[in-house]
Amino acid sequence: MTSLSRAQACLGAIRERQASLKEPVLLMEVCGTHTMAIARHALKQLLPRELSLVSGPGCPVCVTHQRDLEQALALARQKGVLLATYGDMLRVPGYASSLQEEKARGASVRVVTSAMEALELARNNGAQKTVFLGIGFETTAPATAAALLRAREEKISNFFVHSLHKRVPPVLRFLASQKDIPLRGFLLPGHVATILGEAPFAFLGEEYSLASVIAGFEREEILLGIAALLGQILRKEFRVQNVYPQSVRSGGNPEARKLMDEVFRPARALWRGLGELDDSGLVLGEAYEAFDASFLVPPLSEELEEEHVQARNLCRCGDILLGRLAPRECPLFGSSCTPVHPLGPCMVSGEGSCAAAWRYEKTFKGAN
Amino acid sequence: MAILQSGHGGGGRLSSELVGALAERFTSRNLPSPEMEDCALLSANQGITLDGFTVTPRFFPGGSLGKLAVCGSINDLAVRGMRPEHILLGVIAEEGLEREELLEHMGQAAAVCAAEGVTLLGGDTKVVPRGALDGLFLTTCAVGSLALSRVPGMARMQPGDVLFLTGPPGRHGACIAACRYDLEIPGLESDCASLWGLLEPLFALPGFRCARDATRGGVGTVLCEWAEGRHLGLLLEEEALPEDSRVASLGDLLGLEPLYLACEGTAVVAVAPEDAEECLKKLRAHPLGKDAARIGYVTEEHPGTVGLRTSLGGVRVLDMPVGDPLPRIC
Repeated sequence: MTSLSRAQACLGAIRERQASLKEPVLLMEVCGTHTMAIARHALKQLLPRELSLVSGPGCPVCVTHQRDLEQALALARQKGVLLATYGDMLRVPGYASSLQEEKARGASVRVVTSAMEALELARNNGAQKTVFLGIGFETTAPATAAALLRAREEKISNFFVHSLHKRVPPVLRFLASQKDIPLRGFLLPGHVATILGEAPFAFLGEEYSLASVIAGFEREEILLGIAALLGQILRKEFRVQNVYPQSVRSGGNPEARKLMDEVFRPARALWRGLGELDDSGLVLGEAYEAFDASFLVPPLSEELEEEHVQARNLCRCGDILLGRLAPRECPLFGSSCTPVHPLGPCMVSGEGSCAAAWRYEKTFKGAN
Repeated sequence: MAILQSGHGGGGRLSSELVGALAERFTSRNLPSPEMEDCALLSANQGITLDGFTVTPRFFPGGSLGKLAVCGSINDLAVRGMRPEHILLGVIAEEGLEREELLEHMGQAAAVCAAEGVTLLGGDTKVVPRGALDGLFLTTCAVGSLALSRVPGMARMQPGDVLFLTGPPGRHGACIAACRYDLEIPGLESDCASLWGLLEPLFALPGFRCARDATRGGVGTVLCEWAEGRHLGLLLEEEALPEDSRVASLGDLLGLEPLYLACEGTAVVAVAPEDAEECLKKLRAHPLGKDAARIGYVTEEHPGTVGLRTSLGGVRVLDMPVGDPLPRIC
């Protein structure tokens, strides 16, 4: 079977199962790569009307709290600090500027594609403190851990990590326990599951009767995942199903987890729009405290703390990340918040649900 | 206070917003607005173009800054049916640049001029203090004469016209990104080349409407500019797009879309339907056009928007990128 005919077969199964369900179904994907692929292949147009797919907190940039972003900006402005970051963070607007603007004003900000590249920058710039901005879920955290391990072995003393890494299972538990969101299942992130395996997601079915399927990123793999989710709802059998076995082993990647466990420890973390969630972040453990950039982060001004408390703009990121609100239901969507002048991170990142909806909404079916 | 960021030079929305604001300083004094095309008209049958070039690294698989500067100017003329004839070349070099390197760039620039029959009319050379710029900038101004009876341009595009792409998109941008992020992709080369030889045969087609070399912002940006500039719809077929598997794998690695990566020797062409077959034949007869393909058509539907029909039957919008393509996280 070709990829196209597999995709068509899955679509057929989805339509059939949705028809048998005779009720609206809300599913959530929690991985930015899924969000992008769904938009790129225009999959939402092809799904039955009764089946809604919303994007949850799966874009690492989008879940980064405004306060953490302000701290990153303050770090970038520090003399003698070189801030190494993934490219997605550059354009996210802070209170007064973005990393890109700080860079244009002369701050040392470098885009890297891996933590190891940041370590390399530290090796080559002995005079500067190189701070790697650790963003991302269990997918990028092992790579940060590997760089820290190497830094310790080689005794590189000018390499630091500002860890904003986050863990997926705690936020899924938070979402699952929100009584006002009529969620029926999760399309689980394939990349994260490659590391974690199936077990950390078992609670979704066992405790919350939610469908859950680990899916890949090709269009037919996503459609297969959705069909499997509907299958679980129809049969009322809720357990983690892995339809991405070519990449995800049921036990995940124990070596990568060992790395993370050695370097990080779970801690309370701030999520944009969702607030503080227990054990949902990863901070550097005791053995790696010397590499923790926290001591370099200047305290935020009272004015910024105040802004942070008042949530300066009307951006409804939190509700959007929870699936309570569709991007186009945000009062700012498409008027004061567009990809050119984004107010919230969901509009900045290519993986953000608002950026995806912006492209998607302008389709020929939509309100254009 | 608003400041410029690198994204303002990326060829996407931020660039076009900035260019609009710059032009407004002129139009507000009742001076005519320049045509937003690759080259301007000096007279009814003469075209002129100005361009500045900077690239890191300055030597890359498939080309160099010197080659890029001359090809870029030639291509700006060629897409408007102007046979490139003369060029002026400006050099702004940073103190400390190796003399040998500058000569090597001039050698590569001269080789393209010799092959295309372009004469160097003059130039300007400046050396600036260390740190005032990054290594070497080249600027070119080129002049050409119209090689057909009318000036092609997007103003000629009509609903029903057929769209072609002369090769796989994004090869230059992908090659530069691979160099910058230190990724080894065997065989990935910039498409940097003069398009004159490829495009000239098309000028004999009465239905030849317009062409654009898809530089910064890539093929997606050119198509958006056409759709928005003419308030017409463009519809592409995803399956018809030529693909370079090496560009695709780089795109997957860094999360970059080939349609938004720069080309330096690949053009988008619009032709009346009756000449479509002949156009494809002529394009494919040239070595640069061996992968040329018919990628879509112009329509009155969804004016101002470019759609891309996937093989599953969904249509997604191809929007103009905002600034520089940035690699994403996972």
